Amino acid sequence: MFNRTEVAEGVSIFTRKTEQFKTVNFSIKLKRPLNTVEAANRTVLTNVLQHSNQAFPTAAALRMHLDDLYGTVLYLDTTKTGNDQVVLLNVETVNDHYLKQGNVLKQVLTLMNKVLFEPNLTEDGYFQPSIVEREKEMVIERIQSVFDEKSRYAQKRLQEIFRPNHPISTSVNGTVEAVQAITPQSLKQTYEKMLAEDLVDIFVIGDIDEEEMVAALKEAFPFKGRKRFEKAPIPTSKATAAYTKETFDTRQGKLHIGYSTPVTFEHEDFPKMQIFNGIFGGYPHAKLFMNVREKESLAYYCSSSYSAQYGVMYVMSGIEQENEEKAIRLIDEQLEAIREGDISDLEITQTKAMLKNQLKEALDSARGQIELFNQYRDLKEPFTVENMSAKWDAVSKEDVVRMAKQLNKEAVYFLCGEEAE
Amino acid sequence: MEKIHFDQLEETLYHETLPNGLDVYILPKQGFSKTFVTFTTKYGSIDRSFVPLGEEEAITVPDGIAHFLEHKMFEKEDGDVFQKFSEYGASANAFTSFTRTAYLFSATNHIEQSTNTLLDFVQQPYFTEQTVNKEKGIIGQEIQMYDDQPDWRVYFGSIENLYEQHPVKIDIAGTVESIDGITAEHLYTCYNTFYHPSNMLLFAIGNVDPEQMMETIRTNQANKTFAEPQPIERIVVDEPKEAAVSNRVLHMDVQKPKAYVSFKAREVSLQGIAMMKHELAIELALDLMYGRSSDFYEEVYQKGWIDESYSYDFSLEEGFGFAMVGSDTAHPVELQEGVKRVMNDAAKELPFTQEDLDRVKRRKIGFTLRALNSLEFIANQFTRYKFNDMNLFDIVPVIEQLTIADVERAMTSITGESQQSTFTIEPLQKEAKA
Repeated sequence: MFNRTEVAEGVSIFTRKTEQFKTVNFSIKLKRPLNTVEAANRTVLTNVLQHSNQAFPTAAALRMHLDDLYGTVLYLDTTKTGNDQVVLLNVETVNDHYLKQGNVLKQVLTLMNKVLFEPNLTEDGYFQPSIVEREKEMVIERIQSVFDEKSRYAQKRLQEIFRPNHPISTSVNGTVEAVQAITPQSLKQTYEKMLAEDLVDIFVIGDIDEEEMVAALKEAFPFKGRKRFEKAPIPTSKATAAYTKETFDTRQGKLHIGYSTPVTFEHEDFPKMQIFNGIFGGYPHAKLFMNVREKESLAYYCSSSYSAQYGVMYVMSGIEQENEEKAIRLIDEQLEAIREGDISDLEITQTKAMLKNQLKEALDSARGQIELFNQYRDLKEPFTVENMSAKWDAVSKEDVVRMAKQLNKEAVYFLCGEEAE
Repeated sequence: MEKIHFDQLEETLYHETLPNGLDVYILPKQGFSKTFVTFTTKYGSIDRSFVPLGEEEAITVPDGIAHFLEHKMFEKEDGDVFQKFSEYGASANAFTSFTRTAYLFSATNHIEQSTNTLLDFVQQPYFTEQTVNKEKGIIGQEIQMYDDQPDWRVYFGSIENLYEQHPVKIDIAGTVESIDGITAEHLYTCYNTFYHPSNMLLFAIGNVDPEQMMETIRTNQANKTFAEPQPIERIVVDEPKEAAVSNRVLHMDVQKPKAYVSFKAREVSLQGIAMMKHELAIELALDLMYGRSSDFYEEVYQKGWIDESYSYDFSLEEGFGFAMVGSDTAHPVELQEGVKRVMNDAAKELPFTQEDLDRVKRRKIGFTLRALNSLEFIANQFTRYKFNDMNLFDIVPVIEQLTIADVERAMTSITGESQQSTFTIEPLQKEAKA
């Protein structure tokens, strides 16, 4: 799908030429192991780098330049994958082809170089203290805003209880305390370390000339070689409480449940667990939707999601406070039914069809192509829709029963509204 | 079948109006494996007072009924329609807005079957008192979910502030109390009035053969009978130009206040190309006044009055329109005063030049081209534009032609001080709890 060129040790360029999109998409990924202090520094760093740089020393100057480049989208962000954290520089720009005047692409490459390699520093070589302070506030506000959206907050609380001191509950934004401790100096160290040591993957997709693009990217991103590091194993961690209830001033109760499974992304049973998840709560034909919502009218949403990289599954639902016990019982019953083999051929057919469709649809977007390719590239076989489909097709009812039996309910979190006075 | 080509965008659109009045548009897209189909009626939450089909007296139905009807379309005598779509690997969904109800699916296979399923389930209503009552619990939870979302409350609270009479002020899903009054008979009345093919539009886009798709739809429709189309009589309310309420505060369990300023639009009667020009001109004016490269943004960023939740936008439909600017902020009053000051100053003297305008025009053209990568965007927006007699694919040429004089003229729709309102969500008084 993508053609790989290794330009230095630990630095790769992935290109794909396609006429499918009216834009060209870039994604630069800088990866290293996850820890809270570095996560905080890297998140603030991404904000600072996207604020301004030497060539465009104010936010307004940088934004105006992007406007001039036909509203080119450029942003930095941090994400985590397994035990690692990734700094992203994502850029999407129009293809010159659709414009009356050309040459936008070249200017965009120049700008990407400036964003990463010519930051806005003071004379003594540190980041501008006023910008650092302002962006620290922005990140702190981002961390705190989770509280205001109660379903997000409930999921965060479940993860803290379910997997303490673990990548699952380690935020890519760090903690408020870790962000507060950041200085222009600590940020500079993080920045230099990132450029020198992180594993670098550069993706580009669009109607491009691949050879020319590789040459242009080598020039725009003059990364030196660096040591490769192996994926660190996911640490073990146990839930601190099987049941937790917390009260807030809200109308709807939020029920979140965490399950563990030995089946992770690399495990040979991964496609089977995907089918199980689809039948349990992944789709509108799933048991959770059909029973908790359609049959019992208890909820507007009740679904499961499978986080394969950590080998965990979640169920979440928004319910009336007094229906808590009933909802928990109904959810348990759906899992029990699958364990007992109460699965129709139709449910299996539907789930396989939905998974295949979803995968093909994801490949219809440029970002989807980059992310799926990146996610599956470590698997032994080449990633194709046909390979994945064949694996799903081979899954039997007995396999699904076996998957259900491997699911271990570890933590229930209920965010409850205040009792009526 | 009519064939419309857009040279600069390299797109070809196919169109046919069927004998029953249904408008069908098909846009093949090379390189995509997915097909996305929407089937939309020009009927939304604001259509609460109307003359039912075949009757003479106007009625007012319970709030939230268009959305309730959308939910109930999915349930049939032989079960849930989602099940059928799932069998074909198709993801189905629906949404209700102020002015539209859309049913849709996306799929990479069995497109013909899913298209027939879509047409059939939307054109075969099945409502009983029992199924209607069952749905009240589900929608009740949906309403409560939104009630707990401060971003939704600040958005809707702002609209509520602006309007005195117009039903845009009523929450799309209604309230737990209003939906309790909905009956199967209400649903049939609304269905029969607003779901006639002549009030609907089907849009298919993606990996699709236009001839074959059109034939599938023609055949499906030819097998059904519909009443003669009649013009729909909606009852229009008299709405003052001024904001109904100038300021309101709501307390919720949040960490930081949320502060919004809303501006009620005076010009809400345009349709067609004039509406597109007007709407784009106001959006560009907002970009210049409140965008990330504006002086205002720089100022409030420096002062710490905004965070990453800062946003602004403009909505316009026939009969109502509003602009909004807001953010989570520890300084709600200062931010709101600042937002108003920018608008009031702009009303006195235009604070930008043709050069500034050209810059944001380029940005908007780029945004539009990017959005045209998305099948969902094209299908949904094409329908919305068409219902207002506009064509989505005219956006780029219309932006290119806009002048500073156009922008100055359009802005007068939202610059009056009496048209402004503020809405704030404040954290709860914690001490009262102890």
